[in-house]
Amino acid sequence: MNRRVELNRGNRIFLACVYWAFVLYVFVPLILMIVMGFKDSKFIGFPIRSWTLDWYTGVFSDAEVLYTFGYSVVIAILSTLISVIVGTWIAVLLEGRKFWGRAVTFGLMVLPALVPGIISAIAFRIYARMLGIEPGMGAIIWAHAVHNVPFVTLVVMARLSTLPKSQIEAARDLGADPLMAFMRITLPYLVPAILGASVFCLLLSFDDFVRSFFLGGYEPTLPVLIFAMLRSGMSPEINAIATVALVLTAAIGIWAERFTRRANKESQT
Amino acid sequence: MTYDASVRKDRDGHTAPSGDRPFWGRVANWGPYRAFSAILTASPRRQFIILAAFPILWLLTQHLGPMLQMLRVSLIDAYPVAPGTPQAFTFDNYMRFFGDRIFWQPFFRTLTFAAVFTFCTLILTYPVAYFLARHVSRKNQMLMLLLLLIPFWVGEIVRTYAIMILLGNTGAVNLALKWLGLIDRPIPFMYTSFSMGIGIVYLTALYMLLPLYSALEKLPQSMNEAAADLGAGAWTRFRRISLPLTIEGISSGCILVFLISTGFYATPVLLGGPSTTVFAETIAGFFHVAGDEWPTGAAFAVIMFAAALVITGVFQKVMNMLRKGDTK
Amino acid sequence: MTSPLVHIDGISKRFGDAVALENLSLDIAEGEFVTFLGPSGCGKSTTLRILGGFERPDTGRVILDGEDVTNQPPERRHVNMVFQDYALFPHMTVQQNISFALELKGMDKSAIKRRLDEITSFLELDGFGDRYPGQLSGGQRQRVALARALAPDPALLLLDEPLGALDAKLRGQVQRELKSIQRQTHKTFFFVTHDQEEALTMSDRIVVMNKGRVEQDGTPEDLYFHPQSRFVAEFIGETNLLSGKMRGVDGEAVVMDWFGQTLRGHAPSGVPTEGASITASVRLEKLGFHKARPDLPNAVQGHVVSKTFLGSRMAVDMVVDQTDGAKLRAFVDADTGHSIGDDPIWAAWDSDSMAVLRD
Repeated sequence: MNRRVELNRGNRIFLACVYWAFVLYVFVPLILMIVMGFKDSKFIGFPIRSWTLDWYTGVFSDAEVLYTFGYSVVIAILSTLISVIVGTWIAVLLEGRKFWGRAVTFGLMVLPALVPGIISAIAFRIYARMLGIEPGMGAIIWAHAVHNVPFVTLVVMARLSTLPKSQIEAARDLGADPLMAFMRITLPYLVPAILGASVFCLLLSFDDFVRSFFLGGYEPTLPVLIFAMLRSGMSPEINAIATVALVLTAAIGIWAERFTRRANKESQT
Repeated sequence: MTYDASVRKDRDGHTAPSGDRPFWGRVANWGPYRAFSAILTASPRRQFIILAAFPILWLLTQHLGPMLQMLRVSLIDAYPVAPGTPQAFTFDNYMRFFGDRIFWQPFFRTLTFAAVFTFCTLILTYPVAYFLARHVSRKNQMLMLLLLLIPFWVGEIVRTYAIMILLGNTGAVNLALKWLGLIDRPIPFMYTSFSMGIGIVYLTALYMLLPLYSALEKLPQSMNEAAADLGAGAWTRFRRISLPLTIEGISSGCILVFLISTGFYATPVLLGGPSTTVFAETIAGFFHVAGDEWPTGAAFAVIMFAAALVITGVFQKVMNMLRKGDTK
Repeated sequence: MTSPLVHIDGISKRFGDAVALENLSLDIAEGEFVTFLGPSGCGKSTTLRILGGFERPDTGRVILDGEDVTNQPPERRHVNMVFQDYALFPHMTVQQNISFALELKGMDKSAIKRRLDEITSFLELDGFGDRYPGQLSGGQRQRVALARALAPDPALLLLDEPLGALDAKLRGQVQRELKSIQRQTHKTFFFVTHDQEEALTMSDRIVVMNKGRVEQDGTPEDLYFHPQSRFVAEFIGETNLLSGKMRGVDGEAVVMDWFGQTLRGHAPSGVPTEGASITASVRLEKLGFHKARPDLPNAVQGHVVSKTFLGSRMAVDMVVDQTDGAKLRAFVDADTGHSIGDDPIWAAWDSDSMAVLRD
């Protein structure tokens, strides 16, 4: 008995070490990258002997970088709007409804999320040309919107499946037609899921490289800009840009996580 | 405390003066809304058609359309089709793939890499998921999982760049090794399959971790305790209980990571070298040109997607058999 | 009574292979408190959902207030429902919940306000208007659900086991409240439950359902003392079941043979044929104990084997002599119970207290 307890504790300590090693693995590269952005030298590498904020002031006064930033944000917002509306609509169709061809519909719905990145990018590129969409902002928004629909649908379906059937029946019973019941009961109930999915889409779009790269015109999105800069060599300027992007995405992510968690908890009472 | 049935008189609502209604009351009794609602609710069948028409149209044209168009382009001899000339159906684009080792070598490399990296991700994240799900209290689980989520909200390019800084000749790892006196000259980690592996595992770990975690979390603790009471050691318990019961999580995590790994383009370009060219780079090469090479690129993409689907399909079959064999 | 408020005309409903309702016909008068009682799966909830408009019957019609509503969706019926889980809208305040239906009717703000005040003071919900359902106790939620359903003044109020979620102590109080609300509003209540005690306490009329059919339809007293079938006798209250042979008819009474003894009862569901195997039911409180053979149509001799103290009364079990060990159970008051010793004793009952059942 004692031996087993000891063995258990040994396991536990070993597993805890693995966990914290994993935490280091995921955090250390990012921390190093952030730190490197404050190095007072054009040369990326250790050791760092003196520090500066010049790279940041440089980035914030660089019109091209700022423009790219705004460009990426606008693309993210517009594509998210489309994904959320379409994704929610599909979720309402698929959840808790039996109809002929439902399995196929579900399969088609998740398809864009399962296609490997490069294949998805070139398929969109080919299709855009067929539709006559020129590479550029519109094409990127469209590709991001389609690619992100499954994530919205899956999140909204999960939430919708927890809505008691009696809620809609009660609304109907009290004089609401199906559309009114949807607007006044279903939609408010879905708000946390929709908000969570929106943030997820914003991040997916803002972070996306491969689709933006193949569907972009002459103006790069932020990841495409960083990629292009990296191909001509590493520089602390890139670190500064990447750090700003990192802080922004991580902050939005954490906020969304907390928000959806709280909303879920509230609706459980 | 008296009950008056006065409302009954204006049950229909129409007798009430339409002066100062609340917002939803105005909407519900607004002519156009009533008309629309009447169309919508005339029959359950019509209601379903109105609900389903747009999603079905979207799924066919936006989700399936690009894939079908890619398949079509891969089967024609020239693209874009010059006006006036008939487009010819051909398998030549596919045949090109088998003709040149410069094409099929990256292809097999990609599949091998993806398989190896997927396995590495599994080995790395299983203990992490196991620890979180089985050895951490409910309250801390969420916090510790959230801690791991944060870096995964950061984009592919930024994280790839972070790996470049970590593994460069003057990077943190070489600095640390030198400082420890283990090496004199920096080890060239970068532009090898090793640096690519570190980067890809870094990018995909979460997609493995989450399915594993949710599978492990569902395992009742009592099962492990019962096995422990019967004298099963930790390793036996893991092999006989946790592993078979989480096979579903393992297989969905592996499939997801495998599919994602095969699709990386920027990461191999930035972290890999000439000896590690992946198929994504080969495919992309056909799209940098104006367009006459597109059919070949499309054919290669179809080959790759088909191969990835076949491999994941076979993998899932095998995992299902394993699971059924274990519950016998 | 001119025409019934609700006229259910031969409705049937199947779910796949399972028959939920089979050719049910029924009238409900205005102002009645009708309870549908039965075990789960007996079709009572299906009937309720058909009346509410949530299910459509496969055959048959539902006439409400002279209008055929069989194919009307729930929002077009003057019927409201109190749901089993109350189904209060969690993102709306109590006030918003109650005025939900009033707004959709297109009533003015001032009219809504008046109706809201009236209904909240009637159900003693003043001061809760701005709270959310999550901040209320179970009993309060139940009253909000009732207020919400009563607010639009429905012709028929449906109640789907609305007391199931309350604890036993509160349940008794709410039962009395519900009954008094029903009396004051003169509303027609259609109540569904599997709890026979609840049904007996509140209803004007009980419809006992089993396997999609009506077993018996009558007043609580009727059902309790004159059950027509074995199912009703066993489902409502506790009873002694006596299996014997039909002998014949003697005036008003039906004569049966039970282990060679002649017993007299009545047959509310019709007189069986002579020689048939029959079962009769005698309620526990209708049995009396006597030291000597009393002057009653039915009397059997036996001895007491156990006594169980139940507070206000006592349950006494006796084995009847000259049978295969058949037992009878009776309720007596505690004093009488204590006075019964080990000596042989007579158990006797009236012919009106014994109902011969349909199987």
